[in-house]
Amino acid sequence: MLTFVEEILLLMLDDQDGRLVDLPRSAMNGVIAGAVLMDLAMHDRIESDLQELRVVDKTPTGDPLLDGPLASLSTAKDGRNSSAWVEDLARDADDLREKALARLVTRGVLRKEEGRFLWVFHTRRYPIIDDREQREVKARLRELVLSNEIPDPRDVVLVCLVEAAGLWDLVLTESEQEKAADRIAQLRKMDLVGQAMTQVVRDIQESIAVASTMAW
Amino acid sequence: MNLQQESQNGVVIVTPNGRLDISSAKLVEDSLIGIIDRGHTRLVLDLSQLDYISSAGLRTLLVVAKRVEAAKGKIALAALKPNVREVLEVGGFDRIFAIHPDRAAAQAAV
Repeated sequence: MLTFVEEILLLMLDDQDGRLVDLPRSAMNGVIAGAVLMDLAMHDRIESDLQELRVVDKTPTGDPLLDGPLASLSTAKDGRNSSAWVEDLARDADDLREKALARLVTRGVLRKEEGRFLWVFHTRRYPIIDDREQREVKARLRELVLSNEIPDPRDVVLVCLVEAAGLWDLVLTESEQEKAADRIAQLRKMDLVGQAMTQVVRDIQESIAVASTMAW
Repeated sequence: MNLQQESQNGVVIVTPNGRLDISSAKLVEDSLIGIIDRGHTRLVLDLSQLDYISSAGLRTLLVVAKRVEAAKGKIALAALKPNVREVLEVGGFDRIFAIHPDRAAAQAAV
C-alpha cells in the first residue's frame, strides 16, 4: 500500500507531462507534512485532540519516509498542536517529496526525466508509467464525495489532502464540485490533523496572495 | 477502559468509561464490531462515562459507523459530556451519528 505522501504526489502529477501541479512550494510542503502526520496516525504512532498532537509510540514503522519525521516528533516537548507540527515538518518536506518520488520510480509507477529549459534551467519530470493507482484513487474519491456513504478513515485523509492541495479539478467536473461542496466540507473536517493541515496551507496561500498584492 | 454491555428490546447498549484514545481504541473497535458481526445491528453508545476522546477514538467511531451501515443497522450516541461533544462536533461527527441527550431517547431512535 502506498503512503499518503506517495498517493497525494501521484495525484499532483499531471498525467500527460509528468510535472507537478502549480502549487506554491511552501503550500505543497504543508500538504506533504500533513500527509506524513496522517500516515503516522494510521500507524498508531501519534494521536491528537483539539489541543495537542503527541507521540504515543516511538517505535520506528520500518518506512524511512515516516521514521525520520517520527524521530523528530519523538524528541520534541509535549504540548505542541497539530498546526505547529505541520509547519515544522513542512521545512523538511523538499527532502520527503524527493524521497517519495524516487520510491515511486523504483516501484515502476513513475519514470524520471531530467532536461534543460532554454539550455540553462534544470527541469525534472515524472511521467506516469503505471496509472492504475492514480485512477483507482480518483475513482474512490469520486464515488465517496458524490454519495452519502460513511467514509473509512483513509478516505477521509485523502479528501483532506486533495482539498488542501486544491486538486478537485482533477477529480470532479465543475458541476460535480458544486454538487459535492457540502459533502466535501463535511468530510474534510473528520480528521483533526487534516483540518490543521488545510488551515496551515490556506494561511500560506493567503500570505503569498497578500505579499504579491503588496508587490504590485 | 471498561465496556459495559446490556441488551434491551433488541437494542444493545454499550457504555465505555474513561478515555477513548489509542490505548483503548482497538478494544472498543473489536468489541463493537464483534457485537455487529453477531447480528446485533441496533446499537446505542451511552457516552455518559466517557471523559475524553482523541483522534484515534474518532477513527474507531467512524469504522464502527461504517460497519453498522454495511449491516443496514442503526447506531446512536447518548449523554455526551461537553468536552467529548465538542470534539465530535469539530470533527463533523454529529452529521454521521444521531446524538441524543440520554439513553432512552437514543434507544427509541434506533
